[in-house]
Order: sequence, then structure tokens, then C-alpha cells
Amino acid sequence: MGGGGFASPPGDPSLDRYVLDVARVPHPRICLLPTAGGDAEDQIRRFYAAYRHLPCEPTHLSLFRLGAEPVEVASVLLGQDVLYVGGGSMLNLLAVWRAHGVDAILREAWERGIVLCGISAGSMCWFEAGVTTSFGAPRPVPGLGLLPGSNSVHYHGEPARRPCFHEAIRTEAVPPGWGVDDGAGLLFAGRELAEVASARRDAGAYWVEERAGAAVETALGARELPRREELEPPTPLSIAEWRETRMRRR
Amino acid sequence: MAFGGGGFSMERGNTLLDDYVLSLTRKERPRVCFLPTASGDADHYIVRFYRAFDAARCEPSHISLFRREQSAGDMHEQLLGSDLIYVGGGSVISLLGTWRAHGLDTTLRRAWERGVVLCGLSAGSLCWFAEAVTAFHGPAEAIEGIGLLPWSNCVHYDAEPERCRTYRDLLAGGMVEGYAVEDGAALHFEGERLTRVVSSRPGARAYRMRWTGDRLSRRPLPADYLGVAPAVVRAA
Repeated sequence: MGGGGFASPPGDPSLDRYVLDVARVPHPRICLLPTAGGDAEDQIRRFYAAYRHLPCEPTHLSLFRLGAEPVEVASVLLGQDVLYVGGGSMLNLLAVWRAHGVDAILREAWERGIVLCGISAGSMCWFEAGVTTSFGAPRPVPGLGLLPGSNSVHYHGEPARRPCFHEAIRTEAVPPGWGVDDGAGLLFAGRELAEVASARRDAGAYWVEERAGAAVETALGARELPRREELEPPTPLSIAEWRETRMRRR
Repeated sequence: MAFGGGGFSMERGNTLLDDYVLSLTRKERPRVCFLPTASGDADHYIVRFYRAFDAARCEPSHISLFRREQSAGDMHEQLLGSDLIYVGGGSVISLLGTWRAHGLDTTLRRAWERGVVLCGLSAGSLCWFAEAVTAFHGPAEAIEGIGLLPWSNCVHYDAEPERCRTYRDLLAGGMVEGYAVEDGAALHFEGERLTRVVSSRPGARAYRMRWTGDRLSRRPLPADYLGVAPAVVRAA
């Protein structure tokens, strides 16, 4: 997903539901990996606020915060139906995963058929390369390479990324790939693109390749998901938090 | 300065260890740079640092590797221009992975060679050593730090029995000799040499740990309590 979703208010509820539908089980276990944001509490809270009311079993795995109980990272991750990688720094995400051996576990999860998804840095990490702003100015950086090609997120939302992505493809610094807007997502089955889904007007995905020394961009057709204004109004975060606190007290 | 655990992160209202590391800079208003990487650059931790190291007595700054937009300028220059680099606690594995991705391990070595005072607690202590014991996810295990100090290190030695057992086993299995440090105690190295053990709590201790071939040698190191000794002790 190119951006948006539960982490950025007002969010894209249909994208949140979309990833659950892809799991094709009645009550999927979904685990947030908030690594790219340094396990930021805000991202974790918004994740629970979005998923608590959906038919699923949400949890999260922190690689920074000391939990009260030791965590078996591999068994937690491999016991899920959906792994959802949050946004942040792609460079740090991959470095921390590698330091903990999580990259190998994710490959195994993928081979077992667990749905892997993510937003922003959590999208680009699956490809051969992405365009990261981890260093400040956008710069191409290698990903895990489970998916072929390259990926740039926030495609029209952050104007500095698109020229950087085009230039990287034009000069063959990265393989051809997909630019994805906030509110849109690419669904892959294995390594094949199955569909483009969009939860916002004008949010889409673009295939970018090098042709005769130029970067050529082609807009892809997208399946329209219900827009946020078509769904019931989302629960304000403050109320959701209050409910969560109340539930914990019980 | 390698704290077993302590300073503003763990000892509310007790500034003894933080005052001590500030004094090591021999500057009236030292430039202090905080690295909260091991916590994932947690906002509340950064706020607590600025409260503890207020602008009245030092020139505080921090480097966020997760929110680069918060840090202006070249972080390598910022580190090399500091008088004191203070590394916070959290996951040492995440810390080292992130530092290496940004080349901070190299910069910190250069800072050390230039005489910048380096300190930290917990993960921020383990990181300086060649080898260390971490107990972050699941069972305690050995990790390789950035190796400025050619020893091993185990922090929170009093608080987490699992670590003590694991450290013993790791030393028996060939881990390089080193130091176990309790919460409230800190090791002061000059270069690679331990020059002093200090403490922010009376009775907090550090130990020299070595495997002698068939048994563990655990030698308590005398620690200087940095506060005023309790009256009862003086009377005795």
C-alpha cells in the first residue's frame, strides 16, 4: 500500500478490511510489525483502534520495547494469518529485521502462505528495491526481494519521490517497478501482480520502466474499494482509546 | 562509562551517575548528544533526556535515526563535535543493527579516539564491548558489540537471575572475560583500561568475571559511592 490506511487519519477503512479479506479465513490473526517507526506507540494504538472492531484477532510484535514476558519471535510471526508492516524508515526496518533474523522468518511466512502486507516502508521492503527518505532526500535502497521489481510509495503525495524513482529506473539503478499513491495498494499472488485496489478518488498505481533512455510511466486500472465517506463514520480515536482502557480494566 | 543500569532513565531524582559523566568532560557547559536508538527513538524518552540534561548545565541535543526530519544537519559531525555521547537503553540488537545501517559504529569509534566521553546504560552499556549478554526476546544470548572495549559485559546483574546464569555459561563456553554490573553501579574506562567503579546507590556492585578453566572466578570490585555516605556508616 502506497500510504494512508489506519496509521494516517482519517484513514482508509476499506484498505484495512481488504487485507483481512485476502487472508480468506473467517477470523484472521493479524500482527502489526511497527519496526520501521521504532515501535512508535502512536502507530500501535491506531492499529488496535482500526482492527479491534473488525472480525480479526489483532496483535503486534515489538523489537524495541521490553515486554513483560519474553517473546518467541518466530512462533509469534509464523502463527499469524496476516503480517502487517507499518511505515517509517525502510533502511532501519531492514537493518533491525536482519539483526533479529526476522527477514528469514518473513520469507518462511511467505512460503507458508501467510499474507504479507504493509504500508509505505512496509510496502517497499518486499520488493527488490524502494525509494527511501531514511537519509533525508529520497534515495533508492535494496529491499528483501520477495517481490520482483521496485516500488515507490506516496507517489503523488510526496512530490520529491516520483522524480527520484523515475531517475533510478531510467539509469537502471533499480529495476522497473510500481509507483503507488496513498490509499492504493498492489495485490500479488506469489510474484505476480493480481490486482490494483484503490480506496480513494484519484489514488492509483503506475508501472514505470526504462524505454530508450527515458522513464515511461503507465497508469494501471484499479478496482475501486468503498471510499471512507461511503462507509459508516469511523470511531474517533479518543473514544476508541477510552473503550480500550475500559476493556483492560475488566 | 558503562552503567549496569541507572541515570535519568532508571533513577528518578538520583542524578549521581549523570553528574559524574558530565564532570568527565571537564567542560563548564559540555555538548551532550543523546542516542535513543535502542528504544526506537521513543518520544517520551527523548523528553526525559532534555529534562535531565537541561540547558542550564549543558548543551543538549539528540539524534533520531527513525525520525530523521527531527535532526537537522550531519549527524556524524554532530557526534564528533560532542563532549559527551549518551546512549539510552532498549534492545541492543535493534540498536546495533540500526547503527551499522547508518555507519554510526564507525563514527562512534572515531569519536572515542578523539576523546569524546561515551556512556550509556543497559543496551547503551553492552554496545561498547566486544561481547555482551542480552536478554531481550526469550532466553539470554550472546551478541557482538562494536568492540571499543575488548571485554564482555552483563548489565542488570542483580535484577535478572537468568542473565547471571547465562553469563556464567557463556564464559565457560569461551566468551571473553569481562564485567558484570549491577543496577546503580558503573564502570569508568580510560581507553580500554578500567580506572574506577562508581555507584549511585550504596552497595551497588560490579564484578570482574573470568572462567579459569574449570570454574568461574567472580571478583567483586570496590565501588565508590558518589553520594554522601549515610550518617550511620560514618559513625561506624
